[in-house]
Amino acid sequence: MESIYSGYEKKLHDIAIRVTDLIRDYGNAFSDKTGEKLFEHLSWRIKSEESMRSKCIADGLPVDTHSALKEIHDAIGIRIVCLFLNDIRRNLEELRKLPGCTVVEEKDFISAAKANGYRSYHLILSVADSEPDIEGNFPGTYFAEVQLRTIAMDTWAALEHEMKYKKDIHHPELISAELKRCADELAACDVSMQTIRDLIRS
Amino acid sequence: MWFFLFFYNDWGLLMKILLAEDETDLAEVVSAMLTHSGYSVDTVANGLEAVEKTKSDAYDAILLDVMMPVMDGLTAVKEIRKDGNTTPVLFLTAKTEVDDRIAGLDAGADDYLTKPFAMGELLARVRAMTRRHGQYTSSIVTLQDLTLDTSKSELTCRNSISLAVREARLMEQFMNHPGIAFSTEELLEKFWKNEDGADGEAVWMYISFLRNKLKSVGSSLVISGESGGAYVLTQGAAV
Repeated sequence: MESIYSGYEKKLHDIAIRVTDLIRDYGNAFSDKTGEKLFEHLSWRIKSEESMRSKCIADGLPVDTHSALKEIHDAIGIRIVCLFLNDIRRNLEELRKLPGCTVVEEKDFISAAKANGYRSYHLILSVADSEPDIEGNFPGTYFAEVQLRTIAMDTWAALEHEMKYKKDIHHPELISAELKRCADELAACDVSMQTIRDLIRS
Repeated sequence: MWFFLFFYNDWGLLMKILLAEDETDLAEVVSAMLTHSGYSVDTVANGLEAVEKTKSDAYDAILLDVMMPVMDGLTAVKEIRKDGNTTPVLFLTAKTEVDDRIAGLDAGADDYLTKPFAMGELLARVRAMTRRHGQYTSSIVTLQDLTLDTSKSELTCRNSISLAVREARLMEQFMNHPGIAFSTEELLEKFWKNEDGADGEAVWMYISFLRNKLKSVGSSLVISGESGGAYVLTQGAAV
């Protein structure tokens, strides 16, 4: 089967690396200035062929390269994991002025967590490119989804992901309820640690 | 072989019973029996001492003799209820007149037992009372956009978040008395009683925790006040 990203695999990799480099740059500039890190982990991935095809189908879109690049916005996924809640806000300020990138959508699942307890801040960037894109636009544009979260939120999401893809779970309702409780407890810890940090620094 | 059966309350603590009985022998035997059954018991000799104990300690049940010197059981239960204390109260009474039972129940008692009584019946009534209390006392407190579930220590508005036990108790106090200012000293007294090293700084830290948690769940309510001063739960400034 031909790749759903047919002909654009390398382009997506290049764009992902370019954007993460820009993020690393502002992170380095910040730590040079303050001696502190704006984030602990920075990673990226290209959505797997299988997930992209499933998402096209789920969204009622034709399963083709145009859908993958233009209709669906998370072919490129970038994750920024921070120590403290306020670091997320500081990263957002930087991301909104990232050169060559425009924020086209923001979803705040920290202020309004998903029902299962998922917390993260999602932001869709439109990234300009020096070559025409699949629609022939010049400059070309590609989308990247940036997810910002604390380490606690990241750990929770990893566990929830594991549960979601495990088929034969006993007591799924119980596990879901306990996961939700964990999410609320972790959120409480994030808020408490931020509060203590503020008190120490005030 | 000995078997020990302990009763625990909602907080996972050993159930605590206050016994007010002026007949020393009876007080001793009832206290011994309750202790043997797994309760923790404080014994006092009159109604006034009982009222004072309920102000400093939280009990899961109160057993009050009706006829006592200094302050009788009827007056004591009225005093206890006056402060909003809903702890179940069982009257122990030598009187069998209907009028006395009515007066006792109307004064705020939950149940009564006439002397002499079988120990087994007393224990059964205590079990019934403490069970009922846990079920019937609402653990949900709501105020405007905010909901506090004290049994789960969970605060909810747009989001939900967990609270530490002390945070939940403080929050409950504020939510039950919106607009009322509580001084740092009052809060220390009520929520940090008998704790070494607790001072205004500790209160300020917990107020700070609650402020940020209110913000985190997206509530329009705020706790205002300066470090070391008085704190009050109010509607935040319109955004």
